[in-house]
Amino acid sequence: MEFSELIRTGQAQAELLRGPEMPPLRGTLCVTGHHLLLSPGPQATPDLWLLLLRSVDSIEKRVAGDAGTITLRCKDLRVLQLDIEGVEATLDIARSIEALSSLESVITSFPFFYRPKGLRLGEAWHFHPPERYYKRIARETRAWRLSEANEDFSLCPSYPRAVIVPRAVDDDALARSARFRQGGRFPVLSYYHAPRGTVLLRSSQPLTGRQKLRCAEDEELLRAVLAEARPGARGFIVDTRSAQAAKQARMTGGGTEAKAAYPGWKRLHRPLERGRPLQESFVRLMEACGDPEQSMDRWLSRLDGCRWLSHVKEALSTACLAAQGMEWEGACILVHGAEGTDSTLLVTSLAQLILDPLSRTMAGFQELIEREWIQAGHPFQLRCAHSAFSHTRPKHEAPIFLLFLDCVWQLGRQFPLSLEFGEGMLLALFDHSYASPFGTFLCNSEKERCLCEVRTRTHSLWSGLNQPKEQRKLRNPLYVPNPLAIWPSVEPQSLRLWQGLFLRWTHPPEPSEVAWEKVWQIATDQKTEGSQPTDSASEPQP
Amino acid sequence: MASAPTSKYNSHSLENESIKRTSRDGVNRDIGEALPRLPGETRITDKEVIYICPFNGPIKGRVYITNYRLYLRSLETDSALILDVPLGVISRIEKMGGATSRGENSYGLDITCKDMRNLRFALKQEGHSRRDMFEILTRYAFPLAHSLPIFAFLNEEKFDVDGWMVYNPVEEYRRQGLPNHHWRITFINKCYELCDTYPALLVVPYRASDDDLRRVAAFRSRNRIPVLSWIHPENKTVIMRCSQPLVGMSGKRNKDDEKYLDVIRETNRQINKLTIYDARPNVNAVANKATGGGYESDDAYHNAELFFLDIHNIHVMRESLKKVKDIVYPNVEESHWLSSLESTHWLEHIKLVLTGAIQVADRVSSGKSSVVVHCSDGWDRTAQLTSLAMLMLDSYYRSIEGFEILVQKEWISFGHKFASRIGHGDKNHADADRSPIFLQFVDCVWQMSKQFPTAFEFNERFLIIILDHLYSCRFGTFLYNCESAREKQKVTERTVSLWSLINSNKDKFKNPFYTKEINRVLYPVASMRHLELWVNYYIRWNPRIKQQQPNPVEQRYMELLALRDEYIKRLEELQLANSPKLSDPSTSPSSPSQMMPHVQTHF
Repeated sequence: MEFSELIRTGQAQAELLRGPEMPPLRGTLCVTGHHLLLSPGPQATPDLWLLLLRSVDSIEKRVAGDAGTITLRCKDLRVLQLDIEGVEATLDIARSIEALSSLESVITSFPFFYRPKGLRLGEAWHFHPPERYYKRIARETRAWRLSEANEDFSLCPSYPRAVIVPRAVDDDALARSARFRQGGRFPVLSYYHAPRGTVLLRSSQPLTGRQKLRCAEDEELLRAVLAEARPGARGFIVDTRSAQAAKQARMTGGGTEAKAAYPGWKRLHRPLERGRPLQESFVRLMEACGDPEQSMDRWLSRLDGCRWLSHVKEALSTACLAAQGMEWEGACILVHGAEGTDSTLLVTSLAQLILDPLSRTMAGFQELIEREWIQAGHPFQLRCAHSAFSHTRPKHEAPIFLLFLDCVWQLGRQFPLSLEFGEGMLLALFDHSYASPFGTFLCNSEKERCLCEVRTRTHSLWSGLNQPKEQRKLRNPLYVPNPLAIWPSVEPQSLRLWQGLFLRWTHPPEPSEVAWEKVWQIATDQKTEGSQPTDSASEPQP
Repeated sequence: MASAPTSKYNSHSLENESIKRTSRDGVNRDIGEALPRLPGETRITDKEVIYICPFNGPIKGRVYITNYRLYLRSLETDSALILDVPLGVISRIEKMGGATSRGENSYGLDITCKDMRNLRFALKQEGHSRRDMFEILTRYAFPLAHSLPIFAFLNEEKFDVDGWMVYNPVEEYRRQGLPNHHWRITFINKCYELCDTYPALLVVPYRASDDDLRRVAAFRSRNRIPVLSWIHPENKTVIMRCSQPLVGMSGKRNKDDEKYLDVIRETNRQINKLTIYDARPNVNAVANKATGGGYESDDAYHNAELFFLDIHNIHVMRESLKKVKDIVYPNVEESHWLSSLESTHWLEHIKLVLTGAIQVADRVSSGKSSVVVHCSDGWDRTAQLTSLAMLMLDSYYRSIEGFEILVQKEWISFGHKFASRIGHGDKNHADADRSPIFLQFVDCVWQMSKQFPTAFEFNERFLIIILDHLYSCRFGTFLYNCESAREKQKVTERTVSLWSLINSNKDKFKNPFYTKEINRVLYPVASMRHLELWVNYYIRWNPRIKQQQPNPVEQRYMELLALRDEYIKRLEELQLANSPKLSDPSTSPSSPSQMMPHVQTHF
C-alpha cells in the first residue's frame, strides 16, 4: 500500500483543542492511512480520539520555537487545533495530512477498508430503488413501465440501469430522446402522485442549439405522458434557470423546449442558484458564523448578505410550485435546468416530501435520497470534494445537497409532527455526504459505483444508520403519520438559520442532547402510559 | 379524506404564478355564532361596513360595538371572517377621506392598535354613519376622556379561582426565607408615606432603622430606596432595587445612603464589595446629573463597584418597536428582511437587556457579591433586570403561578407605570410616556423559553394572553401606575384579575415538556446569533407567515393533546445552551454544584 510513502512521521506528542466548551486532550498523535489518532497516555482515559483524514477540509500550520500548531478545518464545519511538540514533527504531520486528505482514488478510500462489527457487507435493501419504486406505482397505474434500456449505461452514464418511462414509449425512442438531452438524461418518472394521477418527471435540457433542433421521439415521450395522465391533461416544464440563461444556453448547444413542439406543455422559469455562487454563499455564511469577533450588531445584515436563506426560500418556493401544479392543477410537471443533476433533483425531491407522506418516514426518506440523489446521478464526489473552508479555488463544489437538507429542516420546523426523522438524521446525512466511512455517497453516478464495486465492497450508510442503537438520535419522538400535503410558509420571516448545523460547534452541543433526551422520555412515557390519544388520532386516516 | 381544503384565498393557479397561500386572517372564524358577550358587557351599536383587510382585500361585514369590544362578522358567503378586538387595544382613531372623496372605499375610519396591527373600515358617505361610529368608538375606547369607567370596573365575570389571591408578599418573602437574622420586613410604607410608588411591604436590612430609611429616601429619586427583591437561598447574596441617587451637578453626598449600602453589603460577611448595576448608558447617567440625578461615585461609595449596562431609555425602545411595526404590518418586508430587522435595533435592545440580567444573575449566583440595580426612577429597566435575573436564578418563577407572582411583585407592586406606559383608556396616543417596556420583558422571557424548552411550565400562548390583556382593559391586573393608586380605586375588590382567567384554565397554558428542576440557574445565550424575532407575536396577523393549513390530523392531535400545543412548534430550539455568553469573559458560568443531579419528569 502506497499510504506509507505519504506518512512522513510515526508519531508526536500533542495537545488537541476541540472548541471552547470541550476539555483539551493530551497524548500521542499518530497518522495512519485514513485516520489521525490521538492516544492519551496510560494515566488518562483509555479513549482513543480518531479523525477521518478525508474529513479535513483545510489545514494550516504555524511553528514557533520548538513547537508547532496545526489548525484543521473539517468538512463537518468543526475547527480543531493541535499543538505539537517539535517543529519537524509538526511539519511532517501537516504534510502527511495534506497528502492523505486529498487522495482522489476512490477504491483506496476508507469505506473500502471499513469493516464494522455487527454489519455484513451486501445486506441492504436499497440495491434497486427504481425497481422498488416501480413496484409501488405499478399497483396504481399501468401507464408506466420499467425500462432497462440503460442496462450498460450507454444511453445515459449518469442514470441507473433501470428507469421508469411511459409504457407507450419503446426503448429505441428512449435512445433517440437521450441523444437529444444533455448527458443523455431523457425525461424519466421521478414521482407518481397517486391522489391526482399526475406525475413528476425530470431530465436535462434539450439540445436544441442555435438551429432550434427538434426530436420527434422526445416530443412523443412528453406527449405520451400527458395522454396517459388523462385526456386533455396539461403539463408544466419548470426550468430552474432564468429565461435569459435558458436562451443563452442555445449558444452552447442547449436550450429549452419550444412551445410549438410540445403542445400542452407550458414553460415556467424559476431561477435557482447553483454552482459557484451557491458555494460562495456557503463559504460566506461559515465565515460569518465562525467570526470570533462576533461583530454582533452586524450579524443580521451579514446573514442577509450571505444570501443562504434566500436560496432556501427559492428552493422551497420552486418545490411548492411543482407540488401545487400536481396537487391543485392536476398537471404533470417536468423539472430540469441544464445538466439536470443538481437543482433539478433539489426540486423533485422536495416536492415529494411536500406531497408524499411515505417519503416522510424514516425508510421512505432514505429511499428518496437513494433514488432521487444517489441513483439519479447527483455528482456527490465532485460537489462534496470540499466544504466551506477549503483554500483551493472551487471547481465543481457546490452545497446543493446541504441546501436540500436545510430545506427539509425548515419543513420539519414548520411541521414538527410530520417527519419521522429528526434533526440528528439531517446532520448525519450532511456529515456522511462530505466524508464517511460508508460507501453510500461515493462516486458521481451509478456507473462509477459499479466500476468501483462500491455496493459489494463497502458498507451502506443505511445499514449503519438503521442499527437500533442509532435510532434515538435520528428519529423524531413526536412523529405522527400525516396523510396530507405539508405546505410550508416560504416568507423570509418563516425561515430560520439552521443553528443546529451552522452553529453546531460554536456553542455546546451537550445541553441540546439533554433536551432531546428529555423530549424522548416525555414522548415515550406518554405513549406507554396509554393516556395519550395518539392512536385515535392516527386511526381514521383514509 | 380530502386534500387540504382550498378556499377563495388559497387557491392559486400556476397561471398567476403565485405560490403564496393565504388561508386565515389571523382571527377566529366561527360561523353563525352570536355576538360573544361578557357579563357586564353591553351592546352599543352596529353598522354595516367594509373591512379593508390588508391581506385579502375588502370584505363586507357588520360591525358590532359594545362597551368592551369591536366585533366584525363578514356578510359575504364565502368568507367566514370574524374580527374580535377589545377596545382597549385601540391607540388611535382617525377619519380617512372627506365628503368629496372619490374612489372605492376611500371614506371611513383608520384605527391604529397597540398590538402591532391597524384596522381600516370603509363606510357610506351618506347618513352620518361614520360620525356615529367615530364618536362611539372614541367614547368607549378612551373612556378616561369622557368620564366613563374603564371596562374592567363593569366586568362581571366570575371564575372558580381568585387571581387576586395569587400574590401575597408576606408569603412570597417567607418562601425566600425572609425575614431572617439580617433582613426584616417593614411596614414603614403601610400608607405609602415613605414612597408613594412602592408597595406597602418592604424588606430591608435588619440593622437599618425606619429613621435610616427615611433619611435614605430623601437622597433617592422619588424616594425609591434600595430594598430587597430576592435573596439567594444558599449564599445569601441579594438583589436590591432602587432609583438613582440625587447626586446632581454639585456631586452631593449622603452619609446615610452610603452607610445604608454598606449595611447591605455587611449582611453577607464574605463580601468586600457591593456591585451596583446602573442600567443606563454611561453618558445618560452623567446627563441625569443636570436634573438632580446621577450615580454612585467611587469616592463616596468605597465598598461598591459600579457598572453601566448600556440599556437605552423608554423613548428609544418605543421608536424601535415602531420600526418593527413598519416592517411587519401590513406588508412584511420581503427583500433584505434580516437587514431591515437589524435596522430596527429591536433585537439588539433585547440582547442588552438579557446581557444585563445575566450579569446580575451570575454575580449573585456565584456568591461574588450582592447586587444593587437601578436606572433613573427604577421602574422600567430596573424591573426588567431584576425580574429577568430572578427568572434565571429561581426555578419557582418559571412555573405558571411563580411567573404570575414575579410579574405581580417586580412589576405591578413596585410601580412599573402600566397606566402611563400603555395608556389604558387614554386618547393621547402620542404621549411620550408610552413605551413597550413590559412587552420587551416578555419578549426576553420568550427568548429564554426558546433556548430552554423544558425549563418553563408555561407555553407561548401564556405569554401572548398576558400581552393581549395588558391592553384589553378587561381585567384590573395592569391598571394604574402603582399600588397606592390601585388601593385607592379598590381595584382588587372592583375588578377581576387576569390570573383568575388563566389559573382556572391552566392546561391551555402548559408546556408539555416542562421538567421541574430545583436550583438550576439558566443562562441564556444573549448573542445576536441566538436571538430571533418573535414572529408568532409580532407578525401573527399576517396569514402568510403562518404554517399554511395545519392539516386536520395534526390539528386534532394538537387539540387532543392540549398540553403539547404551542410547544411542538419549537422543537428546533433543542440547541439549548447553558453557559453565559457575557461581554466580560472573566465571569464564570454557574458551578456544577448548582445543577440538581436528578431530573424529575412531571406528568
